[in-house]
Amino acid sequence: MKLWKRLALGFALATMIAAPAIADETQGVTDDTIKIGIIGPMTGSAAIFGKSVFGLEALYKQANDNGGINGRKIELVREDSACDPSRGIAAAKKLMAQDKVFMIHGAACSGVALAMKPEIVKDGIPYVIMSAASAAISTPAERNIFHPVPTTVTVANTMVDFVMSRGDITKVAVVAHSDEWGKSNRDPAVARLKEEYGLDPIVDLTLERGQTDATPQVLQVRESGAQAVIGMLYPAEMAIFLRDSFKYGVRPPTFGNMAISLNDARDRVGNPEAASNLFAFSPFAHATDSEEMKEWAALINKYYPDERVENFSYLGMGGTVAVIEALKRAGRDLTRQSFIDAMNDIKDFDTGILSANLTFSPEDHVGLRGGAMSRLGEGGILVLKTWAE
Amino acid sequence: MLFQLVLSGIAQGSIYALVALGMTILFRATTIVNFGHGEFFMLGAFLVYVLLHVVGLPFLPAALLAIVLMFLLGMGLERGLFRPMGESAPHISLAMMTVAFSFLFRGIARLFWGREVYPMPSVFSYPPIEVAGLIVTSQDLIIAGTTLLLVLLFFVFFRYTRLGRLAQATSQTARGASLVGINVPLVHGGMWGTAAAIGAIAGILVAPITLLYPDMGGQILIRSFAAMTLGGFGHLGGAVVGGLLMGVMEQLAGGYISTALIDIFAFLVIIVVLLVKPSGLFGRREAAHV
Repeated sequence: MKLWKRLALGFALATMIAAPAIADETQGVTDDTIKIGIIGPMTGSAAIFGKSVFGLEALYKQANDNGGINGRKIELVREDSACDPSRGIAAAKKLMAQDKVFMIHGAACSGVALAMKPEIVKDGIPYVIMSAASAAISTPAERNIFHPVPTTVTVANTMVDFVMSRGDITKVAVVAHSDEWGKSNRDPAVARLKEEYGLDPIVDLTLERGQTDATPQVLQVRESGAQAVIGMLYPAEMAIFLRDSFKYGVRPPTFGNMAISLNDARDRVGNPEAASNLFAFSPFAHATDSEEMKEWAALINKYYPDERVENFSYLGMGGTVAVIEALKRAGRDLTRQSFIDAMNDIKDFDTGILSANLTFSPEDHVGLRGGAMSRLGEGGILVLKTWAE
Repeated sequence: MLFQLVLSGIAQGSIYALVALGMTILFRATTIVNFGHGEFFMLGAFLVYVLLHVVGLPFLPAALLAIVLMFLLGMGLERGLFRPMGESAPHISLAMMTVAFSFLFRGIARLFWGREVYPMPSVFSYPPIEVAGLIVTSQDLIIAGTTLLLVLLFFVFFRYTRLGRLAQATSQTARGASLVGINVPLVHGGMWGTAAAIGAIAGILVAPITLLYPDMGGQILIRSFAAMTLGGFGHLGGAVVGGLLMGVMEQLAGGYISTALIDIFAFLVIIVVLLVKPSGLFGRREAAHV
């Protein structure tokens, strides 16, 4: 074969091989749109966490109303995971292969995020976590996965440090689900208690999802004389635990993680007194019933007037502010790599809603390493850094 | 702690017994194992919630209306889904139909209420009662009392009333019952309606404890199924005793061995009973004489 023919053939082959990769880099991007896939638990027993989706979408819609990003409007495609890992995988595959989105922003349930992770890493699509907290999602860091919410390690450390800040606590009970979510929350808390304070839980109990009675757990807490209870529980089970604690007159302060909303817990228990000793982790800079947070609530209700805004509604908004900033910084020449580079360049970024600024780097995609605890006070929700406050 | 766990177990077991009772009544009359009974439980509770908060009815009329509507729904299911399948439909097909409508109703409920878990008002809201250091709530007493009342009622119904004997006759041989002039479809429809109504009663009483959400029925169903298995399929008293034993054993296992055992207890019971005494505590081996 003549040389020029060989060169032409080689170039054609190289183009054919490279074309899908080049197409992947700009998949979901057109002259005037950027397609973003949203995954959340819109139905099922954990559907309350799906409220985060409306926070995300409200910010993207606001960006569109403000002229878009570098001349492009955000086009959203939403899929329901129902907090079911197999449905999450199917949703991610659909968004990547059929809808051909530019990036995925989603997952409130850690089990879903972890199940989707291998497919997402293989595809290389940028993936920003909405509100799922398991540290295993983003540690060790993957090139294309960003975690702009406190991880279970951050939350657990904050909770334990808060409990121990009172100074006289020696007996701490732990109650958790035994599933992957429960373990990823419970294990770092127990490790923190041991490593920093030399304590083992006075009792270490399981309350499974779906259980409607917590009598054995509450009675064991009572028998142990626990001074504080760290509850790594979903909202329904936390309500069951609080209700049964109140029923049996067991009233040690109970500490919930990011899955717990104080107002929601009080409403579920149906008894304000039963929820009066509940503290919940707060990733936000302000109390959720403050004037500052009302602006964020108003934004959600502008686009979703029938949506009842709750603590969970705000969880993904800080990350969305960061995504919009990164898309702007990536410019018109938007590719997966330029977006990832822009996210890695985010340093000490104030989202206006989170309790700490976001920082990413190529080696560390856990963007937030702080938080506070909150409780219901007489005038509303109080955000506290130490128990003594 | 022991006595409190036993008392709590009886209260929890009464929930299983109440749900198992509804399944047993239908099984007794039609030999169908209704895997959708959890959805009767869920729909009954949601109906009351809607009648209270949307329509604005007081609690008692709302509850009574919900029970009547669920009775009609049960009859409608028999007429629309099961009667067309015919008397000779295989039991597995009938069971699969119950699974199908279970998923259908759950999906419909999720369309309306998917993201929310709702508190349900109690029938009575008195403070917990404390006797000799043991604590019990008025809701626990009402559930236990209702279960006892219903089991006595249906014991009398099946044993001493003509209609009850007709229902048993149709379950044993529908063709034979039809030949002697029994209106088999009407009896079956009535039993489906009754089972749905009992499911609704259970949902209305139990929802203040379990909270109200579309998946609430599924969680209770497996435990009630274990209660039926333990007590003996088709035995009314067995369903109640099975439920109570399940509740007590769960609580004791959780209190003294490991709280992690509570969730898997129902499955352990099913396995052990089916291996050791498949007919359950009160069930009898069936023999067909030709």
